[in-house]
Amino acid sequence: MGELLLKNITIRYGGTPVIRDFNLEVNDGEMVALLGPSGTGKTTVLKAVAGLIRPHRGQIFIDGQPVNHLPPEKRSAVMVFQKSLLFPFLNVAQNIAFGLRMQGLPGRDARQKIQEIMELTELAGLQQRKVHELSGGQQQRVSLARALVLKPAILLLDEPLSNLDANLRQQMRELIQDIQAATRITTLFVTHDQAEALMISHRVGLLLDGRLRQVGEPRDLFYRPVDPAVARFFGGCNFIRGRIQDGHFHSEFATVPTSHPNGNGHLRTAAIRPEDVVITSESSHNLPGRVQKINFEGSTSRVWVQCQGNCFVVLTADADFAPGQKVGLQLPPEKIRIFPAEE
Amino acid sequence: MRTLNRNITAAALITSVVLPFAVLIMWSFSTRWFYPQLWPEQWGLRAWHYVFNTAGTQIIAGLVQSMLVALATAGISVVLGVPAGRALGLYDFKAKDTISVILMLPVIVPPLCVAMGLHLWFIRLELAETFIGVVLVHLTFCLPYSVFVMWGVFSNYNPDYENQARSLGANSRQIITQVMLPLTLPGIVVAGLFSFLLSWSQYLSTLIIGGGRVTTLPILLFALMGSGDRPVAAAVSLVFVAPAFVALLFSARYLGGKSIAGVR
Repeated sequence: MGELLLKNITIRYGGTPVIRDFNLEVNDGEMVALLGPSGTGKTTVLKAVAGLIRPHRGQIFIDGQPVNHLPPEKRSAVMVFQKSLLFPFLNVAQNIAFGLRMQGLPGRDARQKIQEIMELTELAGLQQRKVHELSGGQQQRVSLARALVLKPAILLLDEPLSNLDANLRQQMRELIQDIQAATRITTLFVTHDQAEALMISHRVGLLLDGRLRQVGEPRDLFYRPVDPAVARFFGGCNFIRGRIQDGHFHSEFATVPTSHPNGNGHLRTAAIRPEDVVITSESSHNLPGRVQKINFEGSTSRVWVQCQGNCFVVLTADADFAPGQKVGLQLPPEKIRIFPAEE
Repeated sequence: MRTLNRNITAAALITSVVLPFAVLIMWSFSTRWFYPQLWPEQWGLRAWHYVFNTAGTQIIAGLVQSMLVALATAGISVVLGVPAGRALGLYDFKAKDTISVILMLPVIVPPLCVAMGLHLWFIRLELAETFIGVVLVHLTFCLPYSVFVMWGVFSNYNPDYENQARSLGANSRQIITQVMLPLTLPGIVVAGLFSFLLSWSQYLSTLIIGGGRVTTLPILLFALMGSGDRPVAAAVSLVFVAPAFVALLFSARYLGGKSIAGVR
């Protein structure tokens, strides 16, 4: 069992609020990513759940029980820090055994558990290694194993992949995913990498400026952002403005049927993702534009197109565009997302 | 360049450590050695015989006294130095600069002044001529060093180790004994060693506060030097140096930054 509920959490660092009115529910066995640019207080949330920081306001529940008053060592939420923080005076097995030893678990039971967890984290055979003899990835796995061996209700991971290079990150990500699937341990993990969050988690919460902007399945956040800030974070950077009239969103670029009933006459912002814009060298039946800049990114190219005073970013598989070239753009209405409220 | 460096190191070591020691050893084994001669005229074990037999009980008593004072001083200075260094190294507060100046004072002010000044107070507090009094006056010189050493250690200390341990279920006592002390052990050994050696070599303050009642080895040594018996003084000096040397050897692996690396 491991259910986490954060209710109206506000956390301040000397007067200035870092986290404001934060609400999040993590279900049993779920893996939720807390995503946001660096410095938005993601780690602060983890520390609050772990009990290392006391929230200024709000309540934290683990398995339905309020835990605000409990010290970290009494909470069944274990945090794994961004740095692996392995104790240099202990070897690998002793590091993993640390939490069990603190609980006073007898040696034989502990050995059994350590053995299991070392196999799960692909560390078998490294028991006697000194910490400084391990590679970065191994250190990260030991620090993960050190938390997992305690079988906490909630596992809190703070940027577990950020200190690894690209290849290792991929492996570690899969490992975390596999372990989470195998143990079904409720996991809240923090990252600034949107791809990581989208790939690894069941649900994602986007934290911007100390506020949780949107929580949902990865696809929801990516394709149905609630506001322009969320869309911008996920790279949906083509915004168009228009008015709602008779159930349609009218702008100079497109007219889109909309279900927002009471927005008549209101100014609204809509967005379309760069990969959804269709670009052709044919400009007659489309929105005419001129290529400003092109970045070749391998399987795709990113093209900046100036079009009626608006600059569109287009992601296309076709690399045959040159700066200055006249092109035509199509904005498929079904791909245009109209934001419910004005920014 | 390498060889030059090595030669300079060797030369410095020989002139500053080996030569004085060689002379001391020669003195202790000589029975007659007068001014113009380069070598003693007569060799003999008279001085060592004196040290181990005639004055044996006195010197052993002095050795024990010195050891007790130095151990007590080092112990107390570490016990106080660790929390003080932690506070100074980890937390920011207003009076930090002032405190560092105050800590330096006993080191800056001549020991004679400190000891003389404290003597008056110690007489009133009935601490003069007592073991505790001597330990206290030694602490005025040792404590700044151990606080400074631990200050340095804790400025390079990552408190997230403790947060991690806490999250893994360690309570406050376990965090101190299982995390903080092992992590800072090299620094603690250095601080203890400094204090031990400093206390071990105190003469003036011991003389003033101890008033001749607390006869540590340096007090005996000076008495023997005063009597003009060079070979005996040399032998006693060697006895005096030996424990400090052993202490240094045992803690050598903690000296230098290497063992503290990895804490951050």
